[in-house]
Amino acid sequence: MTQPHPLIDARHVSKTFGSVRALTDVSITLAPGEVHSVIGENGAGKSTLMGILCGRIRPTQGKLLVDGTEVHFHSPQDAQAHGIAIAPQEVNLVPHLTVAENILLGAHRGRAAHIDWKSTLAEATRHLHEVDDSVDPRARVSQLSRAQQQLVQIARAAATRARVIIFDEPTATLTYRETDKLIAYIRRMTAEGRSAFYISHRLDEVRELSHRITALRDGALVGCIGPEEATRDRMVTMMAGRPTRAHVTTARTLTDRPTVLEVQGLNRDHEFRDVSFSLREGEILGISGLIGSGRTEVAKCIFGLTRPQSGRVLLDGRETRFRSPLDAIGAGLVYLPEERKAEGIFPLLSIAENTVIPSFDRFTGVLRMRNRQMLDEVGQLARQLKAKFSRLSDPISSLSGGNQQKFIIARWLMREARVLIMDEPTRGIDVNAKQEIQSVLRRLTEERGLSVVLISSEMEELFDVADRILVMHEGRVKGVKDRAEATQEGLLELAMS
Amino acid sequence: MMQDTDFNSATPVQRDGGARALLLRFFRWEASGILIALAILFAALAIATDNFLSAYNMSVVARQAAFVGLVALGQTLVLLVGGIDLSVGACAGLSAIVGSIALTQWGLHPFLIIPFTMGFGFALGALNGALVAGLRLNPFIVTLATWEIFAGMTLVITQGYPIRPLGEPFTWFGQGDVFGVPLPVAIFAVVSLVLVWTLAQTRFGRNIFAVGGNRDAAVLAGIRVKRVEFLAYGLAGMLSALAGILYASRMDAGQPSVGEGWLMGAITAAILGGTSLRGGQGSVVGTVLGALLLAVLANGTVLMNVSGFWQRVIVGGVVLVAVLVDLLRRRD
Repeated sequence: MTQPHPLIDARHVSKTFGSVRALTDVSITLAPGEVHSVIGENGAGKSTLMGILCGRIRPTQGKLLVDGTEVHFHSPQDAQAHGIAIAPQEVNLVPHLTVAENILLGAHRGRAAHIDWKSTLAEATRHLHEVDDSVDPRARVSQLSRAQQQLVQIARAAATRARVIIFDEPTATLTYRETDKLIAYIRRMTAEGRSAFYISHRLDEVRELSHRITALRDGALVGCIGPEEATRDRMVTMMAGRPTRAHVTTARTLTDRPTVLEVQGLNRDHEFRDVSFSLREGEILGISGLIGSGRTEVAKCIFGLTRPQSGRVLLDGRETRFRSPLDAIGAGLVYLPEERKAEGIFPLLSIAENTVIPSFDRFTGVLRMRNRQMLDEVGQLARQLKAKFSRLSDPISSLSGGNQQKFIIARWLMREARVLIMDEPTRGIDVNAKQEIQSVLRRLTEERGLSVVLISSEMEELFDVADRILVMHEGRVKGVKDRAEATQEGLLELAMS
Repeated sequence: MMQDTDFNSATPVQRDGGARALLLRFFRWEASGILIALAILFAALAIATDNFLSAYNMSVVARQAAFVGLVALGQTLVLLVGGIDLSVGACAGLSAIVGSIALTQWGLHPFLIIPFTMGFGFALGALNGALVAGLRLNPFIVTLATWEIFAGMTLVITQGYPIRPLGEPFTWFGQGDVFGVPLPVAIFAVVSLVLVWTLAQTRFGRNIFAVGGNRDAAVLAGIRVKRVEFLAYGLAGMLSALAGILYASRMDAGQPSVGEGWLMGAITAAILGGTSLRGGQGSVVGTVLGALLLAVLANGTVLMNVSGFWQRVIVGGVVLVAVLVDLLRRRD
């Protein structure tokens, strides 16, 4: 017994769904106290692999060993019995129950006929505060922000006292403050000898946290490296199979261009106060801030979804009074929501129809829709935006997140929108698709004079594409900086000032 | 399958690959299961009984399908926008009574009775629409309440007695025929075709699928969501009223009981035809087939000398089988 068994040892695991090979001959191990990250583009097989490890998916081939003994998981309960829990990517909580009940769902303290609420609450609070102490365990889950819900989900996995927790893109919805807390939690966890599999698109985080990094591509293992050799380029090359283009675009000065959108002293109770900024033609204005900083609320207010208590919004120098999104769309200002699945796409409808929905008028003939013309125009835009699809009549849900986002952009280009307010447009989208969307945005601003307000939690993204960066904190604008003179630390300081 | 053109299809369509692809496409179509079921039932009854295929029996089946079918078409619209209308049967009843009174007591011209009654039905549906779309109340609760109100009003007005006779020429609408097709059946066919076209080729029609498929996204895409919902409920009321007044015309009487039992038939027909209770998915063709299946089932039990009491058991069983088949298809 010189070499202790790895905690988890998956050997030559494969999985096929029907005729699709999702995972081909992947071997991976996890040692006690280790953080092992798995990176890869969307569809690379990360989720399938994690599904197998947590008992949700049964492999077609290969063996799984825990503590050196072969196991066969038939359900997530089997995996939990071996001390393996998952904090899934999609929030999966009961909205009308309290945070505490959600954390100990199905594991209430006390007898079956008489729940001991006091110790249930105490126990849940302890687990919750290990991850984040700003969430009230008595609050209902439906009252929490998306990021807080994600943290509750993680606390639930933690509450199973698992020796291994699988984190599936835990930080996709978190801002840096919450991310820091999570990273600190994972470090404490590993210090106690517990281990983690960690999946993320945020490569800086991966490098900072991991002991080992495994890359998957097209369902196969590309390689496994240590954090010291994991440069950003190396990781991206492993994931994409080719090196990335030098991406960083030049910052532009657009002081000679006319102002398109001007927001003056906008106020809305409990959401934001005294928000002012302006946007020039062809400019990308980044908005950075924590969740709860009021960024999304400002966007929705400008778009006419909510009404401000005071303040003005000027479009082309004229004051607007949007009473509904319809008015805003008519004026050429549109909002692309943060929750693409819930608020952006029509999952049952085709790609083409998702794209033309606000522009139906243009294709209504005497008795029929002019389908041919519609398909031509959508196809043309799809080529411009380099969107990948097999047929425009396929449902949009068959596309990857990045391509869905491109068709949502196409939706508004077709409607001749001039101002796009995009809320986290690249969240949960893989590195390459992200860069494509970013370069599409840059091109559109240059070629069509499109103006973009880009709300993002990812500093990196803002530094890559925005011309100016505005910082919001707790409902107020803390400052605006030209990208050329801004640094990440500077903006962070600005937010906290 | 007019509605299921490539462009509008919600399911992936394979165009290359010939017969196999065509078959695959057929099975992906929501209403394929019910078409097969209907064909089997048709063949079985044609073999097992002597008179199922007779012209007279066919017209009986078609007429039976037409009344519930009209109500089911309206219900389909409401289900497509993600709502439900429990008041359709009661709305049919109240509208039929008001139409009968307009004919016999107010002296409205017999040819104006049907448009008048449809207008009245639209107003009843619009009440549901205003409460559900305008105030964002729960459609189940709102229409449960209006169901009671409409049914109660019918009894208040009639005191439980039928209004008769309605007399010539008004009875022609329910009893007459064109080219051998009973008039209610012809009207049902025309309404179905108009709705197939509306859903496939008009902006309102496409918006119905958008609103039902994802309401939040529809708001952000600038669709007048409330107007779409309002219209769906209004049309459901209008089509129920049409069924109700045609039935009164056929019976030569405005009976307070018109429309009782149509609600479940309408929902069942829509669901059998592949319309989702969650909205955004379904078709007019499916609903028409669903109504036909129910009528054939009822007719078959009579022809086979099965006790009428078994009919409901059989219908319930068919719905469960349909749900299971649908489940298997989705797993695929």
